Amino acid sequence: MVKKILNLILFLGLSFLSVAQTTTVTGTVKDTTGQIVIGAAVVVKGTNNGKITNENGAFSLNIQDPKTAILQVSYSGYKTNEVAVNGGKNIEIVLRENSLGLSEVMVVGYGTSTKKEFTGANSKVDGEDLQKLNIPRFDQALQGQVSGVNISTNSGSPGGGASIRIRGLSTFGDNDPLILVDGVVFDAAGLNSLNPDDIASVNVLKDATAGIYGVRAANGVILIETKKGKRNSKPSISISSYFGVQSTSRKLDLLNATEYATLKNEMFANGGDDVPFSNVNLGEGTDWQAEVFQNAPIQSHNITISGGSEKTTYSIGGSYFTQDGIVGLDKSNFTRMNARVNLSTQMSDKLRLTSVFLYTKEQRSTLRENQIGSVLYNTVNAFPTDSVRTSDGRYSYLEEVSDIINPIAQMENTFNEANVNKFVGKEELAYDITDNLTFTNRLSYNYAIVDDKVFSPLVWYGPGKAPNTALNEDLDPTSVEIAPGTSVDRGASVYEQRASYSDLNFESFLNHEVRIKSLHRIKTTAGLSVFTRNGQAVNGTAYNIPNNDLEFADISANLAPGGYLNNTGSFQFQERLLSTFIRGEYGYGSRFNGSFILRRDGSSKFGPNNRYGIFPTVSGSWVISEEKNYAIDRMKFLKLRVSYGISGNDQIDNFAYRGLLNGEGHYVFDDIITQGVAIGRASNPDLKWETTRQFNIGTDFTFLHSFDVTMNYFIKNTRDLLFQPEVSAVLGTYGAGSFPPFINAGDVSNKGFELEVGYKTKSSKIWNLSTGLNATFIRNKVIKTPKGVDFLPGASFGVGGGTATRFQEGYAIGYFIGYETDGIFQSQEEIDNSPVVQEGAKPGDLRYKDINNDGKISFSDDSDKTQIGTPIPKVTLGFNVKVDYKGIDLSGNLFASLGQQIVRNYERQQPYANQLAYNINRWTADNPSQEYHRLTTDLTRNTVFSDFYVENGSFLRLRNLQLGYTFNPLLLKKAKIQSARVYISANNLLTITQYQGFDPDIGSSGGTLAAGIDYGFYPQARTLMTGLSIKF
Amino acid sequence: MRKIINKTIAIALLCSLPLAYGCKDFLDIDPLYTQDSENFFQTPVDYDRALIGAYDLLQGSFINLWIGEIASDNALAGGEGVTDTEGLHQIENMSHDAVNNELRNVFRWNYAGVTRANFLLENQNNIDFEGKDVIIAEAKFLRAYYYFQLVKYFGDVPLLVDKRIGAEEVTKIDRTPKSEVYNQIESDLNAAAQVLDWTRQVKGKVTKGAALSLLGKVYLYQNKFDLAKNTLDLVINEGPYDLIDNFNNLFKVSNEGHKEVVFDIQFSGAEGGSYDCFICLEGNAAVGYHGIKNYNGPVYGDGNSYNLPTQDLYDVFEDDDIRREATILDLADFISKQPKPDEIEFFQAAGHTGYYNHKYIKRKGEIGLPDNDLTSPLNLIVIRFSDVLLMAAEAHMRSVTKNESLAQTYLNRVRDRVKMPELNNGGDQLLEDIWAERRLELSMEGQRFFDLVRTGKAATEITGFQTGKHEVFPIPQVEIDLAGGNWTQNNNY
Repeated sequence: MVKKILNLILFLGLSFLSVAQTTTVTGTVKDTTGQIVIGAAVVVKGTNNGKITNENGAFSLNIQDPKTAILQVSYSGYKTNEVAVNGGKNIEIVLRENSLGLSEVMVVGYGTSTKKEFTGANSKVDGEDLQKLNIPRFDQALQGQVSGVNISTNSGSPGGGASIRIRGLSTFGDNDPLILVDGVVFDAAGLNSLNPDDIASVNVLKDATAGIYGVRAANGVILIETKKGKRNSKPSISISSYFGVQSTSRKLDLLNATEYATLKNEMFANGGDDVPFSNVNLGEGTDWQAEVFQNAPIQSHNITISGGSEKTTYSIGGSYFTQDGIVGLDKSNFTRMNARVNLSTQMSDKLRLTSVFLYTKEQRSTLRENQIGSVLYNTVNAFPTDSVRTSDGRYSYLEEVSDIINPIAQMENTFNEANVNKFVGKEELAYDITDNLTFTNRLSYNYAIVDDKVFSPLVWYGPGKAPNTALNEDLDPTSVEIAPGTSVDRGASVYEQRASYSDLNFESFLNHEVRIKSLHRIKTTAGLSVFTRNGQAVNGTAYNIPNNDLEFADISANLAPGGYLNNTGSFQFQERLLSTFIRGEYGYGSRFNGSFILRRDGSSKFGPNNRYGIFPTVSGSWVISEEKNYAIDRMKFLKLRVSYGISGNDQIDNFAYRGLLNGEGHYVFDDIITQGVAIGRASNPDLKWETTRQFNIGTDFTFLHSFDVTMNYFIKNTRDLLFQPEVSAVLGTYGAGSFPPFINAGDVSNKGFELEVGYKTKSSKIWNLSTGLNATFIRNKVIKTPKGVDFLPGASFGVGGGTATRFQEGYAIGYFIGYETDGIFQSQEEIDNSPVVQEGAKPGDLRYKDINNDGKISFSDDSDKTQIGTPIPKVTLGFNVKVDYKGIDLSGNLFASLGQQIVRNYERQQPYANQLAYNINRWTADNPSQEYHRLTTDLTRNTVFSDFYVENGSFLRLRNLQLGYTFNPLLLKKAKIQSARVYISANNLLTITQYQGFDPDIGSSGGTLAAGIDYGFYPQARTLMTGLSIKF
Repeated sequence: MRKIINKTIAIALLCSLPLAYGCKDFLDIDPLYTQDSENFFQTPVDYDRALIGAYDLLQGSFINLWIGEIASDNALAGGEGVTDTEGLHQIENMSHDAVNNELRNVFRWNYAGVTRANFLLENQNNIDFEGKDVIIAEAKFLRAYYYFQLVKYFGDVPLLVDKRIGAEEVTKIDRTPKSEVYNQIESDLNAAAQVLDWTRQVKGKVTKGAALSLLGKVYLYQNKFDLAKNTLDLVINEGPYDLIDNFNNLFKVSNEGHKEVVFDIQFSGAEGGSYDCFICLEGNAAVGYHGIKNYNGPVYGDGNSYNLPTQDLYDVFEDDDIRREATILDLADFISKQPKPDEIEFFQAAGHTGYYNHKYIKRKGEIGLPDNDLTSPLNLIVIRFSDVLLMAAEAHMRSVTKNESLAQTYLNRVRDRVKMPELNNGGDQLLEDIWAERRLELSMEGQRFFDLVRTGKAATEITGFQTGKHEVFPIPQVEIDLAGGNWTQNNNY
């Protein structure tokens, strides 16, 4: 649709200039299948005389010299064809599909471009390639599809998100790119509402040309277009469905009951304690993982109706998707229903309306995951010697470790649900002021109502367990003193919150395009954008829900005496953005293209001192293969691109520049908690956005006619990082609810190389092969930290343990810091003769390296700690392959992430906690291991954070393997079916890795500095599916 | 054509004009329903609320219960192992250095307290209203308390009075000599004592007695014995305090606010807690942490086995001194006396003594909301009357004009309560007796280390204590760096 309009504009403009009138030549344009092509441009070569084909694919041209004239016929997605008129009056012209997609129109932000003309570095993915994977979330489906974009999963639970990182980590704040769906802003967190089946195409802007989006472009921009209808086409109905079964892709190798008892006895004996098991022959015992992991169903159904009349196109869709979790089934479910209407209509010759509307209803229930105390953490550490239930039927208590609870009981007692109703849409009016000047106004909105409900029944997991809400095994409530001498019972509670969020964005811009003597092309875009975001919520907690039962879990049902315990809360925020932008593009022939972008943004996130910023970008490209003396036959197409520009990141808390009295000032008077005030976050009126300066040089070429190659090298430096550093205690910002101010300090650099290679056999009837490979190499480094700050500490290791990750000059963001091991002390003699004193070491203990060479291992400061890993992969690779043979198709998708490490942080270092099977190879006097330390209940230094707990996180994963069969269309014709395909498909069938944990594809659920820390990660499921798609 | 273009420009301008005009206002939005720190102190209620914010930081003193004992010969750090709150293990071994999270917490939390008190005091002249003098007096008391903690731990510390500073300014200030900080503390406490009453209607508000007793302590720490004895005598003679009969009832929730309490920090079990933010807690985390690891049995609650009394402490008590059992829980002995000892479970890590802090321990019936390791409602008694008596006795003995008989009277008043025989020595032996009594009476209350340092006995009593170094803790290195790197570290760190 958009393509056609553009052509229309272009050629109406051209025909406006034509004058003379001689012979009339008519004709039709068709594609190779014989379908008529509407909107193709037909121009007499060397002139401005041209027309576009009408709804019958026909054109009519007045030609001065019909004997020698040559017609150039072009249409996006097709190769330009040249046909001699040869005096003919009625000509049929056939256009061939352009496999290279060089002239395919793509949306680049307030305008369009083609691969040939675009001066920036981008990656484009067809919606079909994502849909084929049957992955419910767009971000997860995008993994491994394009270079320069690293996507790692934050959780394998249904509805769990992923981290999208375009060209590395550039801040430890918000690294999410700006995501626009049909021009409407989507949060990375809100991606659950997007049905991958609705996506027509994805375009990732990676370099500074994303700067048209100014203060929000520093992390890159992802432009998603949803499916649109086609003009003059009958309604076409597509239905697709799949059903699948998910299971865990992996279980950990843990000790069974016999091994557990044997090792625990040894551990206690070594510590000089009584051994806990008099009999160690306990068989296999309980396999807690087998109890927790279940096979879970997944299903998806989509229907799309699309088509168009002469003036209107439409695409209407509906979908239903539901997925249970492999942990907890419906306790960790995600269900999505949505309805979509895309409508575009030519209201008059000059006025077009484009309307997009999407309604989504999402339901998600969740369990505690990826943290200490999560279901899987408890599963891994539960004792194989305890059964799930005791002989009298209650859940076993796993009493010996106070912070490990029965994971089955935990799942049963968790009721945590979120409901989202979301309306997203856009109304866009484009008015052609002249043939080459278009004025577009659009209003887009994104309104979501989010309802949360958490029911906390009275539970008893065993004596002394922290998550207990009851007083005792009989589930008696605890009591709370509400006034001196007066106590009330505190029973089951329910927490409910209703929040609403709304985005409104008004954008108005002019697109002007002019050709001067057909050699010079000048495109100008200028406009403004007004964006507001509001959010507000009220919530309440009510106690004493009747019968301790979910059935009554509503605030209205509470029986709290006098309502004393119940409490309420609320929050609200607003933010605004006011922007103007201009872009000039100049094209010289088909060889040179240049572009200049300037955007000015004002953001309410910053104080009056620094509210506005200006973001410029310049870029250019040279299509070498269009040079006259170009003669490299093997490289039909060759293009060079360069870009440099500045963009910003304003993703920080609202009003961070102001000092607010929102700290916590609570104290107990008369035995009642009394609320006062305190300064919250300290102010910094000079706060401004982070700026990213990015240089990109790249090339696109086709090689041997069939290989389509893109390469990019980039240097991306982020300055003035929005930093909430530690400040001197003397400033007084470390009370409850008080925080240091945000400041701008610190620089981060990302340098990288990207490669994309596509290969496609030429269309032949019997078989087809297409493959795509992409690779990304990134080096991330912190260049500068604020004055006086050596490093910013990140995540900690173990329970109550020290810092494991840091943001520090000279290292990658979030690198792992700890002790480096040097084997195991084999004997007392070795310890005594060691040149390095390691206090408390005994034979069988880990031996640490003396990094600062002072002759002793220092455990009371950081002087012997060093880098022992990084969560950032050196290389990520994606590989797609598809083979068709007659009606059969086979496709696969591989993803590899290499060179990163993962911290094994799901082992509870407690005497009774279960352990991984590697402990069977522990050091003993008879087994002089150099790798695995001895087991003892004695105090040792083996539990400090060292490379013993850091594992190679590299992996190669077969993400999708699919075998399909497309029925012969001739056979289907009688049933009035256009096409039909059935398939079987498997996701995550195979993962090759040395990592011992559940899943090496681990993102970060606790901020940038917690990346690569495994707390018992909810693994992505292995899914076996069967599906069908039919088109009427 | 031209007409059309002109029209376009007009339309574009018209559309964007209101925006351009409204530009400035459009982005100038205020946060809703929130007060700004710069336009506060408009009503008496504002003062009251700011004062509550300043009180809040008192609760951070739970950490003093740990460090004050673990640094001394009284207690071990305990916990799961040497990496469990590592800073405490370093302090136990006198191997602590300038990188220590627990010491940093002390530094941060007390300065947060100072800052919140200063925030109020710098605005004290905004408006006038009845009762303002009491609020100002309380704020001064709080500031004095926080500064006293800071000088006790770190010696010289930057002194800020009635003002707050920013990140730039902090690089321009130096550590203030300890004596000047003490001058400010004395002046604040004197001012507070003049205004405050001996008793307050609201439980938890500081009193004249609290201010005077703290002042007496501050004098004692500076060896100003004449001032100390006068101040403390005033508390003994005019204050409403007395020793309670049963030593075992000193640290019970049901008995809070008894007549022996001179100054205590209030806690509540009515708010849950998170390990992410200890200073946000309304419960007394020390108490939960003192609980017995994985304990399942009568009377006590389970906890993390922190701050464990040493054998050395156990041995100083006479067998018939009831304070031994009241101070130290001998778990094996306790279990053996229970009706079903076999059913009681607990976990004792290697190196633990089997003794637990019996004054501040999680007991059944005194348990806050989950997670109850963090939410004990048990108040922390900072100064109780027996401490005042023993401080006064010491001051009288060390003053230029000794008063042995009064010192004996005070000492024996403390001993009589626990049915211990009177001690009637004189001279140096009496002073030694007073100091010994302090250990018997006040152990596991967070005072021992500072008493040993103050009396010059630390080097002989604490293994690893180096004279000239360990009298004060190191200023956290990161604090020196963040203040521009100009502060000199304490000696020998």
